[in-house]
Amino acid sequence: MIAGWSLCAGKSRNVSHGLRAALCALLLAAAPGFVSGGGNTVPAQAALSALGQKIFADESLSASGKMACATCHDPKFAHAQNNALAVQSGGANLDVPGFRSVPSLRYLNLNIPFFFANDGTPTGGFNRDGRANDLVAQAERPFLAAHEMANGDAAAVVDKLSRASYADEFRGLFGADVFTKADTAFLAARYALSVYETTEPQFRPFSSKFDLFLKGKLRLSEQELRGYALFNNPNKGRCAACHLSTRQANGDPPVFTDYTYDNLGVPRNAEIPANDDPAYFDMGLCGPERTDLANRSDLCGQFKVPTLRNIVTRKVIFHNGYFKSLREAVQFYVQRDTNADKWYPADGDGAVHKFNDVPPLLTRNVNTTEGPYDRHPGDAPALSEPEIDDVMVFLATLTDGYDPATGTADPARDLPKQ
Amino acid sequence: MQRKQLALAILMSCAGLAPNAYADDAKLKAEVEALRAEVAELRGLVHEMQAQRTQPPTPAAPVSGQSIAATAAPAAPVAANAPTAPAPTQPVATTTAGEPIPGTGGSGVALGANTSFWGYGQLDYNRPTARAGDTVADLTRAVIGFNHVFDENTRVYGEIEWEHAVASSSDKGETEIEQLYVEHALAPNYGVRVGLMLVPLGLLNEHHEPSNYYGVERNFVEQAIIPSTWREGGVAMYGSTEWGLNWNVGVGTGPNLGAWDPTADEGRISPLGSIHQELQLAKARDPSIYAAGNWQGIPGLLVGGGIFTGKIGQGNATLPVNDSRLVLSEAHVRWQPGPFDLSALYTRGTISNTQDLNLQFLGQPTPVPKSFWGGYVQGAWHALAWGNDSSLSPFLRYEMFNTAASYATQPFGLGTAPLPTQRVWTVGANYYLNPNVVFKIDYQKFHYEDVALSYGNRFDLGLGYQF
Repeated sequence: MIAGWSLCAGKSRNVSHGLRAALCALLLAAAPGFVSGGGNTVPAQAALSALGQKIFADESLSASGKMACATCHDPKFAHAQNNALAVQSGGANLDVPGFRSVPSLRYLNLNIPFFFANDGTPTGGFNRDGRANDLVAQAERPFLAAHEMANGDAAAVVDKLSRASYADEFRGLFGADVFTKADTAFLAARYALSVYETTEPQFRPFSSKFDLFLKGKLRLSEQELRGYALFNNPNKGRCAACHLSTRQANGDPPVFTDYTYDNLGVPRNAEIPANDDPAYFDMGLCGPERTDLANRSDLCGQFKVPTLRNIVTRKVIFHNGYFKSLREAVQFYVQRDTNADKWYPADGDGAVHKFNDVPPLLTRNVNTTEGPYDRHPGDAPALSEPEIDDVMVFLATLTDGYDPATGTADPARDLPKQ
Repeated sequence: MQRKQLALAILMSCAGLAPNAYADDAKLKAEVEALRAEVAELRGLVHEMQAQRTQPPTPAAPVSGQSIAATAAPAAPVAANAPTAPAPTQPVATTTAGEPIPGTGGSGVALGANTSFWGYGQLDYNRPTARAGDTVADLTRAVIGFNHVFDENTRVYGEIEWEHAVASSSDKGETEIEQLYVEHALAPNYGVRVGLMLVPLGLLNEHHEPSNYYGVERNFVEQAIIPSTWREGGVAMYGSTEWGLNWNVGVGTGPNLGAWDPTADEGRISPLGSIHQELQLAKARDPSIYAAGNWQGIPGLLVGGGIFTGKIGQGNATLPVNDSRLVLSEAHVRWQPGPFDLSALYTRGTISNTQDLNLQFLGQPTPVPKSFWGGYVQGAWHALAWGNDSSLSPFLRYEMFNTAASYATQPFGLGTAPLPTQRVWTVGANYYLNPNVVFKIDYQKFHYEDVALSYGNRFDLGLGYQF
């Protein structure tokens, strides 16, 4: 498959229409022989992917010289963070704290561009607030943001690229003068990254115990099956309402997200330095990082439903990394409304300050109508503690790299042998 | 009908002859002469009928076991759910046996000698008694059909439907091809069809026009268990016998188990309705077969039944139950003594090998059922008639059905409990302004309420027409 041809012919699923046109134009301008038939062949997927892999792992592309994509998206941790910090710090001295926890990149290549469904439900998009429409756009912020690789602009990134060990490889693929055009070269680098993330099997291995179960290769244990039933049951965990657990319409395995958004009222995390300012609220879809939906106050506080694949390998849970224990996160789901005092601080008068990471006037946005969030103080939680145990055991079946011989799973098993 | 009338006339004449066996010779000769004259007249009628058969048929909708030529003759309804005398007679098609079959469309409109179109429609008002806020007024369906005769033995027939006045892709409802097939008569009493055809099970599926059933809505059994309007693509043979049996056998597409959605309500509303394919890029690896028959050898009585079966995995490599087989069978009877119109139907379906698939659906609200069934009894009375056209027929119907009567067992007691059996009483009346325009009213009482499945006591009004 020829990458350029597939891109310009509209076969590249992770590039939106507008960006596709821009990429085609830029790449055609950069490499006159881009289209086959002109004597030169276009960059092959494999060559682009190999270049993307090098960019992904290149720490020299950051202002600090110590931060690559792989630094936060550690392949051994299912391409998510390998520490339990709520947010990572970047910048020239790696001392500028971020605002959100690191999402896993696995299965992100199956994500879809942002749109509002017919019933008004925001759906799709990349980043936790969905503001990027494809992997190429998504890759822009980490290179530039002050709290990440902190390059500031495309020229700074391209300057580093031009001095990278693979610069000639880059030129060979995109043209000898590619580095003279900062925007073109930066776009090309992000495109190579997207090809890497899209074509490398390690980003969507579907190699978990659950996948083997779906294929009929093995049976889940009694406790795993109990947990799975509780996970699906609309009257119990009801997790599958958003974290879809059945095969997709085309027969593909489930990704455990419906790509929608929800406001769960996750407790405010004091570990995030930005939260020292009581007036600061990260409200997801409506800002402050995302700006185009700032007027949609009804969407404030909504964050994208993430995949639950590899969830037990996550060091922190939720957009603000408040929970460091998955079990606590599951407990929060079912006890948020029955035992609010367990999760939220009390005000001076002793009253529980529920939904304390949402501006007081917007707490109505928090989902309190759908199970398991539809309970009240005194009600029984949707899941008992033994039932939570079962769900936890089931969630462990979603970890990639399952080895039936040992009964263990490790996402690192999906990585290419060095 | 004409052929049957002919046979009846002969029988009655013979019956009339018997008492006179002991009369004197002169009187006997006179009667023989009279009979000869009558036979000659009947012969003339037979020749006339034969001549009619060579003419292109006039517009009419198809029915199973019905030849092309036979579609030409409008006649009064007898079978299915349609009212008979003194209820309005309707211009409908006849079978090759001469039996009129109702619900096959009105007289239609001719477009030249060989092409015609026709249609029917239905407007409903449903008011749940406990949830007035859920009251709905709906243009449930509008249908246009066409019939084009290529020659005396071959025609193409189609039916296009708009549901719920669908106006855009985001609306609920669909625009659909309900039937589209080519029919070729191989002989006067049998033929072949190829295309998208209605599955000939039950009393309603082939005769689903609103003037041909009692009540604002179609009965539940023939929606939930037999998923009217159910059609499949394939090849069918149809025909009739001289002793009153209309038959129809076919092979073609079937449902697709791979489309089962355990998270949705549709599979509990109608198991087969949620996975039938309607020849829309249908998965067609595994052919299904069916056979059905209706016997109408005694005037006023219809007895019939049928069976549909096929593997429904359709070769889906991701399904753990590729060999699952559907078997759906049904039996029905309809008897119309005097002003009464009585009918009953029972149907049962099974889907085999669902355990492994349902294991993947643990905890979900809608696993694949192992069995589902339904039955109803219905009585109508053609109570009042005005002039030649208008009439009033009150009716009462009792239905029992269960869309998930059993599930395959699951390990560790993790299976899903079967659904409770629903029971519905429907009481109401059809008022025929004329044979092709009907106003309906009824009240439906449910044994239990389930909002997700639209179960709940309700009051209904409806208007139906066909032309």
